[in-house]
Amino acid sequence: MATRRTIHLTVNGRAYEAEVEPRTTLVDLLRGELALGGTHVGCEHGVCGACTVLWNGKAVRSCIMLAVQADGAELMTVEGLARDGQLHPIQQAFMEEHGLQCGFCTPGFLMSVYELLGRTPNPSDDEIKETLGGHICRCTGYQPIVKAVQSAARKLQAAPAPRGGSGPA
Amino acid sequence: MAVEIPKSIAALPTSAARFVGKAVNRVEDPQLLTGRTEFIDNVTLPGMLHCAILRSPHAHARITAIDVSAAEQLPGVVAIVTGDDAQRWSQPLTTVPEQWGVHCLAAGKVRYVGEPVVAVAATSRYIAEDALELINVDYEPLPAVVDATTAAAPGTALIFEDHGTNVMMQRVFTWGDVDAAFQGADQVFTETFRWNRLGANPLETFGVISQWDDTDGSLTCRGSFQSQYHMGLGAAATLMLPSNKVRMISQPHGGSFGGKGNMRGTVITALLSRKTGGRPVKWIEDRMEYLAGGAGQSWDRHYEASLACARDGTVLGFKVKLLDDLGATAEGFGAVSAAKPLTAFTGCYAIPVAQYDLTIVATNKLPGSPYRGMGPPPHNWVLEQLMDIAARGLNLDPGEIRRKNYIPPDAFPYTIASGNEYDSGNYAAALDAVLEMGNYAQLRAEQAEARQHGRLLGIGLVNTIEPGVFDWNAYAIVGMPQTGVPEGATVGIDILGKIVAKIGFSLEGQGQYTVITQVLADYFGVELADVRVVYQDSLSAPPHFGPGGSRLGVAITGAVLGAAERVTEKLIAVAARLLQSDPQHVELRDGKIGIKGVPQASMSIAQVAGAMLARSDLLPPGMDPNPEATYVWTAPGRTPADEQGRAKSYLTAANACHLVLVEVDAETGQVQILKYFIADDCGTRLNPANVEGMTQGGVAQGVGAALLEEYVYNEDGQLLTSTYMDYLMPTINEVPMTEKRALCTPSPFTPLGAKGVGEGAMHTTPAAIMCAITDALQPLGLRALEVPASPHRLWTLIKRGATRET
Repeated sequence: MATRRTIHLTVNGRAYEAEVEPRTTLVDLLRGELALGGTHVGCEHGVCGACTVLWNGKAVRSCIMLAVQADGAELMTVEGLARDGQLHPIQQAFMEEHGLQCGFCTPGFLMSVYELLGRTPNPSDDEIKETLGGHICRCTGYQPIVKAVQSAARKLQAAPAPRGGSGPA
Repeated sequence: MAVEIPKSIAALPTSAARFVGKAVNRVEDPQLLTGRTEFIDNVTLPGMLHCAILRSPHAHARITAIDVSAAEQLPGVVAIVTGDDAQRWSQPLTTVPEQWGVHCLAAGKVRYVGEPVVAVAATSRYIAEDALELINVDYEPLPAVVDATTAAAPGTALIFEDHGTNVMMQRVFTWGDVDAAFQGADQVFTETFRWNRLGANPLETFGVISQWDDTDGSLTCRGSFQSQYHMGLGAAATLMLPSNKVRMISQPHGGSFGGKGNMRGTVITALLSRKTGGRPVKWIEDRMEYLAGGAGQSWDRHYEASLACARDGTVLGFKVKLLDDLGATAEGFGAVSAAKPLTAFTGCYAIPVAQYDLTIVATNKLPGSPYRGMGPPPHNWVLEQLMDIAARGLNLDPGEIRRKNYIPPDAFPYTIASGNEYDSGNYAAALDAVLEMGNYAQLRAEQAEARQHGRLLGIGLVNTIEPGVFDWNAYAIVGMPQTGVPEGATVGIDILGKIVAKIGFSLEGQGQYTVITQVLADYFGVELADVRVVYQDSLSAPPHFGPGGSRLGVAITGAVLGAAERVTEKLIAVAARLLQSDPQHVELRDGKIGIKGVPQASMSIAQVAGAMLARSDLLPPGMDPNPEATYVWTAPGRTPADEQGRAKSYLTAANACHLVLVEVDAETGQVQILKYFIADDCGTRLNPANVEGMTQGGVAQGVGAALLEEYVYNEDGQLLTSTYMDYLMPTINEVPMTEKRALCTPSPFTPLGAKGVGEGAMHTTPAAIMCAITDALQPLGLRALEVPASPHRLWTLIKRGATRET
């Protein structure tokens, strides 16, 4: 296949060098060579949001980005949320509010919510809806996810979490 | 020896349950939330290859030539299989009805767009997909049969030439003197309904890794199997292996809703592994493969139905004529969905007689699969909307006609016309609850006010029965002869008093591992953290089925309680010896094994289990020293189906009532859900948060069904909705935040009084929304009779104004 390219990137605060084909998608790099399997593939065409990661602090769909586009970027994935075995307050809120069932879409939701609450610590219902509107969950019917986001916002305002791998906290 | 399973939480050996019945956090969640759960695509085996599948671009065509020579030369390609290999090494896939199956790779002809034709195993998925582009298949197109009515007509092209017809099944089931009921009726209300194809679409597609072992002729498959047992039997039959040579390992999976099994992918990867001499071969279905070729299409139905009524609103009889378009083959077990309505044919109502005129046809579309609810969602919509039509015709309120016909609370257990027995219920209580929650009178006033201003507001008020704890006997009419669905568990206590439960199903999302943990923690008086649930594969676990048909919460509770009772018998025998008492005077209570009424004469379960495992010298003579036991639970009192399909089948009958307010925009055809109220009764709630979550999730899928989701095939059998840009999944922008109330009529027949739950909202929501839309269209004299009521469909209906209310 086409010539392989060497890229350098930071994921969850750790530096990586990877050799990839130009056609390799970012999610395949993360899940494959970097062994960060928490980011899931739901549709591979940028609709469902399961593969969402933070790219220089912004939520992006890693299934429709190429790995080479991440050269020089700082990424954060679901693996960057919990520290020393302690769930991040957003994860804790999802657990307490039963904001997940099968959990397959959840890492994507968590990353978008992390971005939202970093930017907007006290989001309105419309702002929550706007963020969650980019994700499909087939199990929960969204109601407990909304409650989880509201709860996470309260938790983070009461006691801000340590910064994750990159981006706002 | 008979085991007594506690029938209520109060009957557990604890003074006060601390966990069962409470919305405790799920034990599944920390791993899921941190991305550590091992879904199938997270599994990598040494030497593993990756499979890609070349699929038919034609709905119906003969294959005249296949050339894989160029693909074989591509570096990285290790094996290629075609229909020739499938014919040599496997049988056609198992089906219901029988004999409507094909090989896992097309042999001779293709029958639907997306049917697998050639499969490649290569060192990466990228290379495997490159190889597909080098394969040439020559096709000679045949006429595509897309319309169900045409499919059944003489002279139409045949999908299976040997059968001489495209009709897979045609039979009329009559329960009671239906003709007399209809002749004696004051009024008969008849309508036609169309439910278009939609499907499960779990966020994780299907995936499998198969490994063939030539040395002992065995096969190991890891995958996202909803039922490893069921898939294993199918794989063994298809691959001509003894059943004990097929080991199925079910990874945790990202949802199923019935639409997860993919026998083709399992068998294809097995053939590829065999051809490579035993290397593991992984296939992860991509989303476009799922939409066009997966287990994700269900319920393509044409209905004509009638209600016979007395002038006062008493329903005297119900007739349903269903033309069910199952697609190209019967491999997806979608025909089961045509049989399941027998379990609750007449809904919440005491309708004495009924008739089911059932025709199942084959067309050149993807074979139909099960989906949440397994058939009752369309059926219940037809029944409930006919109830509304009758109410309007008799000038009754939709709530009143329903109340008049409810099976009364004192009539249980109640046998319905189609043969199933409902265990218990109080339907008027659910109706009263939603009327009160939604302030029904005020909603009607709001609606009247809106109509003054030309706004189309509509109210839907709809009931359902959710048959729970499925039984094969419900599907006897399509060829499933068994009665009973065993579910087993092994419960053991280790030398330090920690508890392990071993079961035969993996995580799927409903929280069953949490339920098992709650039940055992309360039973043995320990903390949740003292209980661990361990998954076992298909050859290791006791007889099992896993999730399906709203059964597992009840069934696994029965299994672990039965196993816990058996362990306790052993603990008591040992403790009696150690306490110098008689077993009949010793009991388990609040985590202690002790002499009844003598609190100081007791031992912890750790002490007793420890003695069993480490002090054989102290045990009673002949004592089994293993503080572990297995119990296999199956629903009591089930009966084989009679010649009209009647059986005591599903053990429980949960019920729910939904009240919804919608607004239809006459200019755009868009429907907005303004308010949504739910009262539901599933008996004892083992974990109320699990139940509420599944109810809300069912509402979301019901909204998708009623308003958004549809697989569209054109006249050539090409799928036009092959991505999530076209097949519209409900998002937070469409799904209402609902107000819910829990009612509780415990089942007299089940462990802890729980009823099967998880599918009911999918039975109710589509019906509730469709009834509300029709109510909104009342000023225009129109009925919404086709699901989904998409904006274009409603806009066309409103503009054309064709279907006038009679």
